[in-house]
Amino acid sequence: MTQSFYAITWMDIFMSLIFVAISVGLIRWWKIGLEKTLLIGTFRTFIQLTAMGYILTYFFQQHHWSFMVGLVSLMIVIASYEGYRRLKKYKIPNLFWILLGSFFFTVFIVLGLILKLILSVEPWFYPYAMIPIAGMIIGNSLNSATLTVNRFVSEITHRENEIEMLLSLGAPVKSAVQDSFKESIRAALLPNINGLMTVGLVQLPGVMTGQILAGIDPLIAIRYQIMIMYMWISTATMVDILVLNLVYRQFFTPQMQLKRELLRKI
Amino acid sequence: MLNCLNSPTSGDIIFDNKSINKYDITQLRQKVGMVFQSPTMINGTVIENLTLTQNWIKDGEAASESDLTEILEQVGLNSEFLNKDARSLSGGEQQRIALARVLLNKPEVLLLDEPTANLDPQLAQKILKLVYGLYQKLGLTVILVSHHHSAIKKFAKRVVYLVGGKIIEKGDADIIDNPQTTMARAFIAKEAE
Repeated sequence: MTQSFYAITWMDIFMSLIFVAISVGLIRWWKIGLEKTLLIGTFRTFIQLTAMGYILTYFFQQHHWSFMVGLVSLMIVIASYEGYRRLKKYKIPNLFWILLGSFFFTVFIVLGLILKLILSVEPWFYPYAMIPIAGMIIGNSLNSATLTVNRFVSEITHRENEIEMLLSLGAPVKSAVQDSFKESIRAALLPNINGLMTVGLVQLPGVMTGQILAGIDPLIAIRYQIMIMYMWISTATMVDILVLNLVYRQFFTPQMQLKRELLRKI
Repeated sequence: MLNCLNSPTSGDIIFDNKSINKYDITQLRQKVGMVFQSPTMINGTVIENLTLTQNWIKDGEAASESDLTEILEQVGLNSEFLNKDARSLSGGEQQRIALARVLLNKPEVLLLDEPTANLDPQLAQKILKLVYGLYQKLGLTVILVSHHHSAIKKFAKRVVYLVGGKIIEKGDADIIDNPQTTMARAFIAKEAE
């Protein structure tokens, strides 16, 4: 092979189904019962990514910022809905809007810093930079926000008596949930912080691997990866704090009473 | 409800000639201290539990160690408890710490929601005596909710029978032994079973 990268073919993709077959075989053998979900997931991966490939190709051919901002906005709306769907069981009021607002705020701040301040991309909406980076920020925001909200609900359910005791002593709501708040943020940030500790030692991250496979010099690929790791931690911190600041208020009445009925529904 | 952890489904609550809706809620909760059936201690020492309110009352004067010792003595404990792990204390000791924590807020009213329900009868009497002593010494209004009418008759001044959220009888302590209404008599008979 003399070329700097290997252009993967549709036949190669077909062949890679062997990995799915191995997984299905093992799942069947051990009677784990996830075959159907796995096959749906396999199918969805193919359809979603193929569609995304065509959409990206279309968008990359456009030369107006409104297309890129529109696509990023659409991705944020979809991520907010997915977050809402994952957390729907908690029946948190205004959750979709909380996620939407927090994602918009975080994504556009982080994206702006990267495109203008760090990479100084010209034009600023250069699709080959803007879209993949936005995708990573949004994906990371979604995972971190759902993790932190999940943990927060479990914390306040567990600490219901403690919260009521603190409120009864005259604590403001923010002080009454402070420990639950801290624990939830910690739980959501730890995977990102652990990632900073182990990256390059026990794992080669996807972006870097992808770039190397695409023939980019590994020394350039690692620079991108370092920037992305830093970006992830800042995105997660911002979005978690923002989301939780809006979510905890939903569990209390204006009279600073815990809405026990919300916890009972869980 | 007086502590505003719950709101009434109808009607109003008047405290000090003013609807409780007109009070600043945090101030009202400091004026109306509440002790729960099961005391909740935060993870930490007795000092950390007693000085919890300092986490949000920034402009208040911090309680000194002698203040804390004094308050512990008021609830029948001593300074040796200050550095103990609050969660490792017995139920009765935790209930006293909970009481001391509320007293540090200098309340005007003390609400006690079945404070002796999880304690043995001897310890329950001790806590009730202690509360009665506080009532006499500090001039607090004490509202105590209990199912054990016989245990409280020594201490109660006014008694209200509540069944299904409705007042069925009220009067002085004599009505504990001689209720006038059939419903109150039935309630006592049921409790005695």
